[in-house]
Amino acid sequence: MTPPPAHWLERDELGHLLALIRGDGYRLIGPTVDGAAIIYDEIEGVDELPVGWTDEQAPGRYRLRRRDDDAIFGFAVGPHSWKQRLFPAREPLVQIRRDGDDIRFSAARADPPPTAFIGVRACELAAIELQDRVFVRGPFVDHRYAARREACLIIAVNCVEAGELCFCASMGTGPRVGPGYDLCLTELDGGFVVEAETEAGAALVQRLDARAAADAELTARDAGLDSCRQTMGRELDTEGLPGLLFGNLDHPRWTEVAERCLACGNCTQVCPTCFCFDVKDVSLLANAETARERSWDSCFGQDHSTIHGAVFRPAIADRYRQWLTHKFASWTSQFDASGCVGCGRCIAWCPVGIDVTEELSAIRSQDPKPAIELPRPQVWWPREDDPLVPAPARVLEVQPETPDTVTLVIERTTAVREEPGQFNMLSLPAIGDVPISVSGSGEDFVEHTLRGVGRATKALSELRPGQRLGVRGPFGSRWPIELAKDHPLTLIAGGVGLTPLRSAMQQLAANPDDYPAVRLFYGARSAADILYDTELLAWDSLPSCDVSVTVDQASRRWLGNIGFVTRLLRRKELPLDGRYFICGPEVMMRQVLFLLDEAGVPKSHRFVSIERNMKCAAGFCGRCQYGPYFVCKDGPIFRHDHIDFIFGQPGF
Amino acid sequence: MASCDGCQLTLLDCEDELLALGEAVDIVHFPEASSALRPQGRFDLTLVEGSISTPEQLEEIRHIRAVSHALVVIGACATSGGVQALRNFADHEQFMRVVYATPSYVSSLADSTPISAHVPVDFELRGCPIDKAQLLEVITASVVGRKPGIPNEAVCMECKRRGVVCVMVARGQTCLGPVTHAGCGALCPAYDRGCYGCFGPRESANTGSLATWELGRGRSKADMVRAFRLITGAAPAFEHESKRHEP
Amino acid sequence: MTETVYKVDMLARVEGEGRFSVQVHDGEVTGAELSIFEAPRFFEALLRGRSLAEVPDIVARICGICPIAYQMSSVRALESALELVVPAEVWPLRRLLYCGEWIASHVLHMFLLHAPDYLGYDSAIEMAADHRELVERGLHMKKIGNQVIELLGGRAIHPVSVRVGGFTRAPRPRELDELRPALALGLDQALETVEWAAKLAKPSQDNDYVFVAVKGDDYPLERGDRLAISDRGDIAVEEFNEAFHEAQVERSNALHCRLADGAAYLCGPLARLNLFADKLHPRAREALERSELRLPVRNPYESITVRAIEVVHAFAEAVDIVAAYRRPAQPFVAWRPRAGVGHGATEAPRGLLYHRYVVTDEGEVAQAQIVPPTSQNQARIEQDLVALVPSLLTLPHDQATRRCEQLIRAYDPCISCATHFLTYDVEATP
Repeated sequence: MTPPPAHWLERDELGHLLALIRGDGYRLIGPTVDGAAIIYDEIEGVDELPVGWTDEQAPGRYRLRRRDDDAIFGFAVGPHSWKQRLFPAREPLVQIRRDGDDIRFSAARADPPPTAFIGVRACELAAIELQDRVFVRGPFVDHRYAARREACLIIAVNCVEAGELCFCASMGTGPRVGPGYDLCLTELDGGFVVEAETEAGAALVQRLDARAAADAELTARDAGLDSCRQTMGRELDTEGLPGLLFGNLDHPRWTEVAERCLACGNCTQVCPTCFCFDVKDVSLLANAETARERSWDSCFGQDHSTIHGAVFRPAIADRYRQWLTHKFASWTSQFDASGCVGCGRCIAWCPVGIDVTEELSAIRSQDPKPAIELPRPQVWWPREDDPLVPAPARVLEVQPETPDTVTLVIERTTAVREEPGQFNMLSLPAIGDVPISVSGSGEDFVEHTLRGVGRATKALSELRPGQRLGVRGPFGSRWPIELAKDHPLTLIAGGVGLTPLRSAMQQLAANPDDYPAVRLFYGARSAADILYDTELLAWDSLPSCDVSVTVDQASRRWLGNIGFVTRLLRRKELPLDGRYFICGPEVMMRQVLFLLDEAGVPKSHRFVSIERNMKCAAGFCGRCQYGPYFVCKDGPIFRHDHIDFIFGQPGF
Repeated sequence: MASCDGCQLTLLDCEDELLALGEAVDIVHFPEASSALRPQGRFDLTLVEGSISTPEQLEEIRHIRAVSHALVVIGACATSGGVQALRNFADHEQFMRVVYATPSYVSSLADSTPISAHVPVDFELRGCPIDKAQLLEVITASVVGRKPGIPNEAVCMECKRRGVVCVMVARGQTCLGPVTHAGCGALCPAYDRGCYGCFGPRESANTGSLATWELGRGRSKADMVRAFRLITGAAPAFEHESKRHEP
Repeated sequence: MTETVYKVDMLARVEGEGRFSVQVHDGEVTGAELSIFEAPRFFEALLRGRSLAEVPDIVARICGICPIAYQMSSVRALESALELVVPAEVWPLRRLLYCGEWIASHVLHMFLLHAPDYLGYDSAIEMAADHRELVERGLHMKKIGNQVIELLGGRAIHPVSVRVGGFTRAPRPRELDELRPALALGLDQALETVEWAAKLAKPSQDNDYVFVAVKGDDYPLERGDRLAISDRGDIAVEEFNEAFHEAQVERSNALHCRLADGAAYLCGPLARLNLFADKLHPRAREALERSELRLPVRNPYESITVRAIEVVHAFAEAVDIVAAYRRPAQPFVAWRPRAGVGHGATEAPRGLLYHRYVVTDEGEVAQAQIVPPTSQNQARIEQDLVALVPSLLTLPHDQATRRCEQLIRAYDPCISCATHFLTYDVEATP
């Protein structure tokens, strides 16, 4: 393919170009000097661009400085990024209206005006492309993001000078602007080389007073790019980085950097690819209206990893490691690319000047352990429906299970039938939504068993038949029942961990020909906490099934097994060709897996269900990250050998 | 309790919501706004402003705790002792004498302390003053029965969401934002100055690293004592840091 | 022998914690006490050794209702100690900020604290059931006042942008322009409010006051180098401690301030209006004329009308300032520490607020003295109670008590402010 023809635009004509774009109905967002920095803001023309300004950058330091010339784009990237425009820091997702027992959920639509981004650098365009992978190329499409993305016109700029903190050349994202722009400008003496990639861009060029670029101008452009490439202020060796980082989760450098790291989250907020968000229900008093809103979040915050009051990443070292391993390693497994574009923002805007390139090279050079292999990314075919908008569903029945646990039988709202192991997000206005495993389902109904421990689960457990709640889903992976065909199958459950196994058990029990040898080991806190007791007895009476129950604390009337479920397992045969489905508190699962190790059962025969903090369940919010995985889309059911390098590892 | 009354004024500053609030909840005892005082009985939600700094207040807060289902303490005074807790670092007797000629007329404890130092509290809403929206969120959460959506994160998070340019990096100012609890909306950086910590320390406040950085770029130890010892200087993380830099 | 005591142990609808009691013996008032039991917070002591740059942030915390008054008096005093000349463009912004506080504070007092007394309710929320429009009008004006403060200072309570030498940041003209419609509407509502307040039925009282207020070129607010004392001429702000004396009394955590000869005096809206009605904004002067209030106003129950006139004044000035605004190139002037003594007096919504600082050549505060309006008015309030009570003896006890409360409220006492101040200076022993 021949490269599109390049044109030459006189310097004075830039104003004309901007006027044309405005005339076409776009608002212009571009770089402009505001107080102490060059930021991105709405502009009207060339006068507001940072003509004759540049910046000096160093770790934790940014200063504006006058240039000796009147270059228009003679500066490196600043504190803002285009992320703010495509993925705003705060945004409503769902409008909820309650009317008596009736609840209506409607998607908050982004209605973005056509917007032209002026001066998008190579690293920034790469960052936009990376966020596309998160928001439009996963299992679902984020419609708000997609709408804004479609409404934007990208006027890119090639960098002919490198900043002190730039390392796009190392990351392979620049300095030459990659695909995805409409127009690309290269600023040279007296004017710009202009290249169009899209029809919209080409049409603009045609309307300009631009001649074909001369060879000398193209040579000057390439020379500028070359010299930029060679004067990058930072450098990073990316060879095998993902495996290296996950092979060195206990490297001493993590604790060392944690002494300096403020865990303030600035690096994640200035990063043009970081996408984590939190979701909250915003309402006033007992009003009927609730807005479910998202806002930028950070893995440096405590809430990011808090679940049921426990914090999975309590130490700053855990959080820094999460950020760095995600950015430079997990991204590759999640989105098939590094999450870093080499823009250097996280170095400049770290208030105490922590330099990622320095930290990474320290890990590489100070006695690293061998790299490990990370999972390959999955390919997704995005579904078109909006995964964040719940459907209202009526509660058909509420079955009390134990003093603090109920099973909600709710009407089915989707044609998609839930598979054992999957979960739904259940939601109440003004309270929020929470992931709850599917414990059973039929033609017209879905069952969820939940314990009223948190505020949300408590409110859900207090629902009465006829009342409504919101449901979205089903989400996540399922128990791979078919793999257990013709193998002995052992299900091991602790506490409410029995609920996702129950629907599996129902299917297994119904198909004795395929599953002739199914065992269920179940540990509950006490006899009063035993779930589904009638069903347990019924299963146990089948020739194909064997159910054993144990309790941690015995009461006088309890005549069965006493002790943890592991104690029960120790007395049982653990066949090597068997398949094992395990669900319960992580400490219990760890002990079970240890027993299976001792017995020599291959890790590939074991499946566990993992629970993490989760806000969207659709692969966007980043909260449920588990090493290189998202629990919502890659899990919750994982094969043990796929996660053994992080399972039980503190900080994950 | 001991305060400037600004936090209870915040309730009256909810101009758009005040009348709705009066309809949604039964306000039984709010001397600043109503002379119908009904201090007897039990309360679903009690908001308490101010620090404990006199023997009478100590007595009173124990009573309040006993009759309140949920006790939410509001503001820097109630959650850290407030600016008046600066006296905790000095000789109390002398402090009294600087202000009052005859100290014996005045009843005052040596230290100004947060409510949680004396009775268990259900929620601490930070700020000097508290933020109006956060106050409404706490009341709403109590009405609908959920956890208040008030993240314990750094001011930096709000600063960046707001698109403010970092005053530490771009202006070289000292800013306590990275170690301070969010909630103000990053006001000070938005007004071109460093945060002075009026929401108190956040969880995981790495004050040591911040101080090291500031000392490294020319601030004095006295500057560090002052920076950490101001509106919420008696909050443990800030108190610890300021003491490290004392002569 | 009959003994009657009127007392309220917890004064409501005032800022801070106080109580009062009046003893009557056989028809003779034998004692009147307004006591302030708000816990002391020792601001003057804790200012010692602080950098003077921190003073505006610290003194704001004295009072949640009038933090700007504290910031303004303190920067005035510190700038005078530093002999700092503040850029001319900064002054309108300071006045505008202060107008915001006057509006918010006066309207709060008139509608939420004081009006229920006149209309017979316990609170504004209760009053709203019958007078929704009235309360909403008040809340609306209050909100505009707070918006002015929020725009200039970030937040309505303890704003963050006031600094010695100016502001940390000056708003863009576009930001101020957004206030215009609200201010215009507020001005209309304020004019209506004067008419409403003037028509309220008020008990009559005629007290012989000595009025004190800041004297400058304009209606007293953020600037003025002299203090006017009615019938006694005026003095320089620096002479405050010669003309006025503070003393501690046993029943109160606040210091009482009187004229040097022991006479009680009054500061606040009544004092300002009586001394400087000629300096009112034309719109406010019109409102005064229409209110049919006769000068001098010596009935404290009329203070609600006077506040309404001052709200008109504040709105009208705010409109003018916004219209004439030019953004200063630099919102503050930098300063260098030098040793000195500085005095500053401005008009808090409740009246004269005097600050005096001794600063060292290191830029630290060596001494601070703060005299808030409520401690100046306290003696006068007690004297007025003594004058009032004989006329109440025929009323039912609870009604009489309410009338006493209403009188106290008329001064808009700010009890948090009143605590913790001194004249006596005890040298710290090393």
